[in-house]
Amino acid sequence: MVKMNKLLKEQLESAFKGIRISIPEDTRMIIHAKKEQVLTILKFIQNKAYDHLALISCVDWIEEGEFELVYIMSSYLQGNNKYTGKEKVNITLKTRITRKNPEFVTVISVFENAEPYEREIHELFGINFKGHPRLTPLLLEREYEIPPFRKDFDTRKYVEQVFDTIPFVEDKKE
Amino acid sequence: MDRNKITKWLKSPGKMSNKYSLWAIYFCTGCGIIEIPPVITSRWDAERFGVIPVATPRQANLFMITGYVSVKTLRAIIRTYEQMPEPKYTVGFGSCPINGGMYWDSYNTIKHLDKYIPVDGWIAGCMPRPEAVFVAVTHLWTLIDKGMANGYVKYREKYTLYRNNQEKVLGELDWQPLYPTDGKDE
Repeated sequence: MVKMNKLLKEQLESAFKGIRISIPEDTRMIIHAKKEQVLTILKFIQNKAYDHLALISCVDWIEEGEFELVYIMSSYLQGNNKYTGKEKVNITLKTRITRKNPEFVTVISVFENAEPYEREIHELFGINFKGHPRLTPLLLEREYEIPPFRKDFDTRKYVEQVFDTIPFVEDKKE
Repeated sequence: MDRNKITKWLKSPGKMSNKYSLWAIYFCTGCGIIEIPPVITSRWDAERFGVIPVATPRQANLFMITGYVSVKTLRAIIRTYEQMPEPKYTVGFGSCPINGGMYWDSYNTIKHLDKYIPVDGWIAGCMPRPEAVFVAVTHLWTLIDKGMANGYVKYREKYTLYRNNQEKVLGELDWQPLYPTDGKDE
Protein backbone atom coordinates (compact mmCIF):
# COMPACT_ATOMS: atom_id res chain seq x y z
CA MET A 1 0.00 0.00 0.00
CA VAL A 2 2.87 2.31 0.72
CA LYS A 3 4.11 1.66 -2.78
CA MET A 4 0.71 2.45 -4.22
CA ASN A 5 0.66 5.66 -2.23
CA LYS A 6 3.96 6.74 -3.71
CA LEU A 7 2.84 5.71 -7.16
CA LEU A 8 -0.23 7.91 -6.89
CA LYS A 9 1.93 10.74 -5.61
CA GLU A 10 4.22 10.50 -8.61
CA GLN A 11 1.30 10.34 -11.00
CA LEU A 12 -0.29 13.40 -9.44
CA GLU A 13 2.92 15.40 -9.42
CA SER A 14 3.56 14.66 -13.07
CA ALA A 15 0.01 15.46 -14.10
CA PHE A 16 -0.45 18.70 -12.17
CA LYS A 17 2.03 21.48 -11.70
CA GLY A 18 2.30 23.52 -8.55
CA ILE A 19 0.71 21.07 -6.13
CA ARG A 20 2.29 20.03 -2.87
CA ILE A 21 1.78 16.50 -1.62
CA SER A 22 2.69 15.27 1.81
CA ILE A 23 2.23 11.82 3.30
CA PRO A 24 2.20 12.21 7.11
CA GLU A 25 1.17 8.59 7.67
CA ASP A 26 0.97 5.52 5.49
CA THR A 27 -2.80 5.81 5.43
CA ARG A 28 -3.07 9.52 4.72
CA MET A 29 -2.17 11.74 1.83
CA ILE A 30 -2.59 15.52 1.86
CA ILE A 31 -2.67 17.49 -1.37
CA HIS A 32 -2.40 21.26 -1.40
CA ALA A 33 -3.65 22.64 -4.69
CA LYS A 34 -4.66 25.88 -6.30
CA LYS A 35 -8.36 26.50 -6.64
CA GLU A 36 -8.37 26.23 -10.44
CA GLN A 37 -7.01 22.69 -10.26
CA VAL A 38 -9.54 21.26 -7.82
CA LEU A 39 -12.08 19.90 -10.28
CA THR A 40 -9.50 18.19 -12.47
CA ILE A 41 -7.68 16.73 -9.48
CA LEU A 42 -10.94 15.39 -8.06
CA LYS A 43 -11.74 13.75 -11.39
CA PHE A 44 -8.22 12.33 -11.58
CA ILE A 45 -8.46 10.86 -8.09
CA GLN A 46 -11.93 9.51 -8.76
CA ASN A 47 -10.61 7.60 -11.76
CA LYS A 48 -7.99 6.06 -9.47
CA ALA A 49 -10.84 4.25 -7.63
CA TYR A 50 -11.12 6.79 -4.84
CA ASP A 51 -14.80 7.05 -5.57
CA HIS A 52 -16.15 8.08 -2.18
CA LEU A 53 -16.29 11.72 -1.12
CA ALA A 54 -16.49 11.41 2.64
CA LEU A 55 -16.66 15.07 3.61
CA ILE A 56 -16.29 18.64 2.52
CA SER A 57 -15.18 20.91 5.30
CA CYS A 58 -14.12 24.52 5.61
CA VAL A 59 -11.62 26.36 7.77
CA ASP A 60 -11.64 30.10 8.35
CA TRP A 61 -8.09 31.50 8.40
CA ILE A 62 -9.09 35.01 9.37
CA GLU A 63 -5.58 36.39 9.87
CA GLU A 64 -4.54 35.33 6.39
CA GLY A 65 -7.85 36.46 4.91
CA GLU A 66 -8.58 33.08 3.40
CA PHE A 67 -10.99 30.18 3.57
CA GLU A 68 -9.61 26.70 3.23
CA LEU A 69 -11.84 24.09 1.65
CA VAL A 70 -11.06 20.50 2.59
CA TYR A 71 -12.20 17.53 0.53
CA ILE A 72 -11.72 14.10 2.07
CA MET A 73 -11.94 11.05 -0.16
CA SER A 74 -11.57 7.35 0.40
CA SER A 75 -12.18 4.21 -1.58
CA TYR A 76 -14.87 1.57 -1.27
CA LEU A 77 -12.61 -0.89 -3.05
CA GLN A 78 -10.29 -1.00 -0.07
CA GLY A 79 -12.98 -2.95 1.77
CA ASN A 80 -12.31 -5.95 -0.48
CA ASN A 81 -10.34 -8.87 0.84
CA LYS A 82 -7.47 -7.69 -1.30
CA TYR A 83 -6.69 -5.07 1.28
CA THR A 84 -7.12 -5.18 5.04
CA GLY A 85 -8.66 -2.35 7.01
CA LYS A 86 -5.30 -1.12 8.21
CA GLU A 87 -4.32 -0.09 4.75
CA LYS A 88 -7.27 2.20 4.13
CA VAL A 89 -5.99 5.42 2.60
CA ASN A 90 -7.71 8.75 2.99
CA ILE A 91 -6.88 11.47 0.52
CA THR A 92 -7.30 15.02 1.69
CA LEU A 93 -7.40 17.80 -0.85
CA LYS A 94 -6.96 21.32 0.46
CA THR A 95 -7.43 24.54 -1.41
CA ARG A 96 -7.66 28.17 -0.42
CA ILE A 97 -9.99 30.93 -1.61
CA THR A 98 -10.05 34.58 -0.68
CA ARG A 99 -12.17 35.72 2.20
CA LYS A 100 -13.31 38.96 0.59
CA ASN A 101 -14.99 37.30 -2.35
CA PRO A 102 -15.90 33.82 -1.13
CA GLU A 103 -16.83 32.05 -4.34
CA PHE A 104 -16.04 28.61 -5.60
CA VAL A 105 -17.28 26.15 -8.19
CA THR A 106 -19.49 23.28 -7.19
CA VAL A 107 -18.10 19.75 -7.46
CA ILE A 108 -21.48 18.09 -7.94
CA SER A 109 -20.46 17.20 -11.49
CA VAL A 110 -17.78 14.92 -10.04
CA PHE A 111 -19.30 13.77 -6.74
CA GLU A 112 -23.07 14.03 -6.55
CA ASN A 113 -23.15 13.67 -2.80
CA ALA A 114 -21.37 17.01 -2.47
CA GLU A 115 -24.71 18.79 -2.60
CA PRO A 116 -25.68 18.82 1.11
CA TYR A 117 -22.09 19.52 2.17
CA GLU A 118 -21.93 22.56 -0.05
CA ARG A 119 -25.32 23.76 1.15
CA GLU A 120 -24.11 23.47 4.72
CA ILE A 121 -20.89 25.38 4.01
CA HIS A 122 -22.86 28.02 2.15
CA GLU A 123 -25.10 28.43 5.17
CA LEU A 124 -22.47 28.40 7.91
CA PHE A 125 -19.55 30.13 6.16
CA GLY A 126 -21.29 32.12 3.45
CA ILE A 127 -19.34 30.66 0.55
CA ASN A 128 -21.17 30.88 -2.75
CA PHE A 129 -20.86 27.75 -4.86
CA LYS A 130 -21.40 28.63 -8.51
CA GLY A 131 -23.50 26.12 -10.39
CA HIS A 132 -25.12 24.64 -7.30
CA PRO A 133 -28.80 23.90 -8.05
CA ARG A 134 -30.24 24.97 -4.69
CA LEU A 135 -28.38 26.92 -2.06
CA THR A 136 -31.39 27.12 0.26
CA PRO A 137 -31.23 26.99 4.07
CA LEU A 138 -30.47 23.52 5.36
CA LEU A 139 -29.91 23.60 9.11
CA LEU A 140 -30.51 27.05 10.50
CA GLU A 141 -33.85 28.58 11.35
CA ARG A 142 -32.85 32.20 11.92
CA GLU A 143 -31.04 34.53 9.57
CA TYR A 144 -27.66 35.87 10.58
CA GLU A 145 -25.88 39.00 9.38
CA ILE A 146 -22.53 37.23 9.49
CA PRO A 147 -22.61 33.48 8.83
CA PRO A 148 -22.22 31.96 12.30
CA PHE A 149 -19.18 29.74 11.73
CA ARG A 150 -16.94 32.59 10.63
CA LYS A 151 -14.35 33.66 13.13
CA ASP A 152 -15.58 37.26 13.26
CA PHE A 153 -19.03 36.15 14.39
CA ASP A 154 -19.23 37.13 18.06
CA THR A 155 -21.42 34.48 19.68
CA ARG A 156 -21.51 36.14 23.10
CA LYS A 157 -22.62 39.44 21.66
CA TYR A 158 -25.21 37.68 19.56
CA VAL A 159 -26.60 35.84 22.58
CA GLU A 160 -26.78 39.09 24.54
CA GLN A 161 -28.53 40.85 21.71
CA VAL A 162 -31.03 38.14 20.84
CA PHE A 163 -31.68 35.55 23.52
CA ASP A 164 -30.98 37.66 26.60
CA THR A 165 -33.30 40.48 25.52
CA ILE A 166 -36.33 38.20 25.55
CA PRO A 167 -38.14 38.80 28.86
CA PHE A 168 -39.18 36.15 31.33
CA VAL A 169 -42.92 35.75 31.34
CA GLU A 170 -43.17 35.94 35.13
CA ASP A 171 -41.17 39.17 35.40
CA LYS A 172 -43.20 41.04 32.86
CA LYS A 173 -46.48 40.42 34.60
CA GLU A 174 -45.49 41.60 38.06
CA MET B 1 -54.72 -0.11 46.27
CA ASP B 2 -53.33 1.76 49.21
CA ARG B 3 -56.15 2.05 51.77
CA ASN B 4 -54.88 5.35 53.12
CA LYS B 5 -55.49 6.93 49.78
CA ILE B 6 -59.15 5.92 49.50
CA THR B 7 -60.33 9.25 50.89
CA LYS B 8 -58.13 11.08 48.42
CA TRP B 9 -59.54 9.04 45.57
CA LEU B 10 -63.10 9.77 46.67
CA LYS B 11 -62.39 13.46 47.16
CA SER B 12 -60.79 14.19 43.81
CA PRO B 13 -60.78 11.18 41.51
CA GLY B 14 -59.74 13.22 38.48
CA LYS B 15 -56.64 14.52 40.13
CA MET B 16 -55.62 11.11 41.40
CA SER B 17 -56.12 9.56 37.98
CA ASN B 18 -53.99 12.24 36.40
CA LYS B 19 -51.28 11.62 38.94
CA TYR B 20 -50.92 7.91 38.36
CA SER B 21 -51.21 7.87 34.61
CA LEU B 22 -48.63 10.35 33.39
CA TRP B 23 -48.21 9.43 29.78
CA ALA B 24 -45.05 10.91 28.40
CA ILE B 25 -44.70 11.97 24.80
CA TYR B 26 -41.67 10.25 23.34
CA PHE B 27 -40.08 13.40 21.97
CA CYS B 28 -36.35 13.24 21.52
CA THR B 29 -34.44 16.44 22.06
CA GLY B 30 -30.68 16.59 22.32
CA CYS B 31 -28.54 14.10 24.18
CA GLY B 32 -30.82 13.58 27.21
CA ILE B 33 -33.05 11.16 25.37
CA ILE B 34 -30.33 8.55 25.81
CA GLU B 35 -31.42 8.29 29.46
CA ILE B 36 -35.04 7.59 28.62
CA PRO B 37 -34.75 4.04 27.15
CA PRO B 38 -33.27 2.71 30.43
CA VAL B 39 -35.99 4.55 32.33
CA ILE B 40 -38.84 2.95 30.43
CA THR B 41 -37.38 -0.51 30.02
CA SER B 42 -37.06 -3.28 32.54
CA ARG B 43 -34.21 -2.09 34.72
CA TRP B 44 -35.82 1.10 36.01
CA ASP B 45 -39.32 0.31 34.71
CA ALA B 46 -41.10 3.62 34.64
CA GLU B 47 -44.48 1.94 34.47
CA ARG B 48 -44.27 1.38 38.22
CA PHE B 49 -44.95 5.09 38.43
CA GLY B 50 -47.58 5.10 35.73
CA VAL B 51 -45.23 6.71 33.22
CA ILE B 52 -45.28 5.19 29.78
CA PRO B 53 -44.08 6.66 26.51
CA VAL B 54 -46.71 7.26 23.88
CA ALA B 55 -46.38 8.00 20.22
CA THR B 56 -48.53 11.05 19.67
CA PRO B 57 -49.05 14.27 21.62
CA ARG B 58 -52.82 13.73 21.54
CA GLN B 59 -52.47 10.88 24.04
CA ALA B 60 -49.82 12.41 26.25
CA ASN B 61 -49.93 14.66 29.26
CA LEU B 62 -46.30 14.68 30.34
CA PHE B 63 -43.73 16.40 28.19
CA MET B 64 -40.07 15.90 29.05
CA ILE B 65 -37.67 18.15 27.19
CA THR B 66 -34.49 16.12 27.31
CA GLY B 67 -31.49 18.22 26.48
CA TYR B 68 -30.56 21.33 24.58
CA VAL B 69 -33.21 23.04 22.51
CA SER B 70 -32.14 24.52 19.21
CA VAL B 71 -34.27 27.14 17.52
CA LYS B 72 -35.54 24.61 15.04
CA THR B 73 -36.50 22.18 17.77
CA LEU B 74 -38.33 24.92 19.65
CA ARG B 75 -40.78 25.18 16.78
CA ALA B 76 -41.54 21.47 17.04
CA ILE B 77 -41.75 21.68 20.84
CA ILE B 78 -44.31 24.47 20.74
CA ARG B 79 -46.41 22.66 18.16
CA THR B 80 -46.27 19.45 20.18
CA TYR B 81 -47.09 21.21 23.43
CA GLU B 82 -50.08 22.97 21.93
CA GLN B 83 -51.47 19.69 20.60
CA MET B 84 -51.43 17.97 23.97
CA PRO B 85 -54.77 17.78 25.80
CA GLU B 86 -55.10 19.40 29.21
CA PRO B 87 -54.02 18.83 31.91
CA LYS B 88 -50.46 18.75 30.64
CA TYR B 89 -47.22 18.92 32.57
CA THR B 90 -43.78 19.88 31.33
CA VAL B 91 -40.49 18.82 32.86
CA GLY B 92 -37.15 20.19 31.72
CA PHE B 93 -34.56 17.44 31.88
CA GLY B 94 -30.88 18.33 32.17
CA SER B 95 -29.17 21.65 32.60
CA CYS B 96 -29.46 22.86 29.01
CA PRO B 97 -33.17 23.76 29.00
CA ILE B 98 -32.71 25.54 32.36
CA ASN B 99 -30.15 28.14 31.35
CA GLY B 100 -28.35 26.90 28.25
CA GLY B 101 -25.87 24.75 30.14
CA MET B 102 -22.69 24.28 28.16
CA TYR B 103 -24.38 25.98 25.19
CA TRP B 104 -24.73 29.26 27.08
CA ASP B 105 -23.03 31.24 24.29
CA SER B 106 -24.26 29.23 21.34
CA TYR B 107 -25.71 31.07 18.39
CA ASN B 108 -28.53 28.63 17.84
CA THR B 109 -29.60 27.27 21.22
CA ILE B 110 -32.47 28.51 23.34
CA LYS B 111 -31.14 29.51 26.73
CA HIS B 112 -34.24 29.57 28.92
CA LEU B 113 -36.99 27.25 27.87
CA ASP B 114 -39.52 28.76 30.28
CA LYS B 115 -39.57 31.94 28.26
CA TYR B 116 -41.40 30.11 25.49
CA ILE B 117 -43.52 27.43 27.14
CA PRO B 118 -44.40 27.02 30.83
CA VAL B 119 -42.32 24.45 32.67
CA ASP B 120 -43.61 22.80 35.86
CA GLY B 121 -40.38 21.30 37.10
CA TRP B 122 -36.72 20.94 36.37
CA ILE B 123 -34.30 18.06 36.72
CA ALA B 124 -30.82 19.49 37.12
CA GLY B 125 -27.69 17.69 36.04
CA CYS B 126 -25.70 16.83 33.00
CA MET B 127 -26.81 14.08 32.59
CA PRO B 128 -29.35 13.31 35.31
CA ARG B 129 -29.51 9.68 36.36
CA PRO B 130 -32.63 7.67 35.55
CA GLU B 131 -33.50 7.76 39.25
CA ALA B 132 -33.82 11.53 38.95
CA VAL B 133 -36.75 11.04 36.60
CA PHE B 134 -38.62 9.17 39.33
CA VAL B 135 -37.76 11.83 41.90
CA ALA B 136 -39.17 14.35 39.47
CA VAL B 137 -42.30 12.28 38.92
CA THR B 138 -42.95 11.93 42.64
CA HIS B 139 -42.37 15.67 43.07
CA LEU B 140 -44.81 16.23 40.27
CA TRP B 141 -47.37 14.13 42.16
CA THR B 142 -47.00 16.42 45.15
CA LEU B 143 -47.36 19.47 42.96
CA ILE B 144 -50.48 18.05 41.32
CA ASP B 145 -51.92 17.28 44.77
CA LYS B 146 -51.36 20.84 45.88
CA GLY B 147 -52.58 22.28 42.60
CA MET B 148 -49.21 23.88 41.88
CA ALA B 149 -48.49 22.13 38.60
CA ASN B 150 -50.54 24.67 36.73
CA GLY B 151 -48.30 25.44 33.79
CA TYR B 152 -51.06 24.87 31.28
CA VAL B 153 -53.33 27.32 33.13
CA LYS B 154 -50.54 29.87 33.05
CA TYR B 155 -50.07 29.25 29.36
CA ARG B 156 -53.73 30.00 28.75
CA GLU B 157 -53.70 33.14 30.88
CA LYS B 158 -50.45 34.63 29.61
CA TYR B 159 -50.62 33.30 26.10
CA THR B 160 -49.96 36.72 24.57
CA LEU B 161 -46.64 37.06 26.36
CA TYR B 162 -45.58 33.54 25.45
CA ARG B 163 -46.60 34.03 21.84
CA ASN B 164 -44.67 37.32 21.68
CA ASN B 165 -41.55 35.60 22.96
CA GLN B 166 -41.99 32.75 20.49
CA GLU B 167 -42.34 35.18 17.62
CA LYS B 168 -39.25 37.07 18.70
CA VAL B 169 -37.14 33.97 18.24
CA LEU B 170 -38.89 32.13 15.43
CA GLY B 171 -40.15 35.07 13.41
CA GLU B 172 -43.61 34.69 11.92
CA LEU B 173 -45.31 31.58 13.21
CA ASP B 174 -47.13 29.68 10.52
CA TRP B 175 -49.95 28.45 12.74
CA GLN B 176 -52.94 30.12 14.33
CA PRO B 177 -52.84 31.22 17.98
CA LEU B 178 -54.08 28.51 20.32
CA TYR B 179 -55.93 30.98 22.54
CA PRO B 180 -57.17 34.49 21.73
CA THR B 181 -54.35 36.97 22.09
CA ASP B 182 -55.46 40.22 23.67
CA GLY B 183 -55.00 43.42 21.72
CA LYS B 184 -52.91 41.94 18.96
CA ASP B 185 -55.21 40.68 16.28
CA GLU B 186 -57.87 43.37 16.77
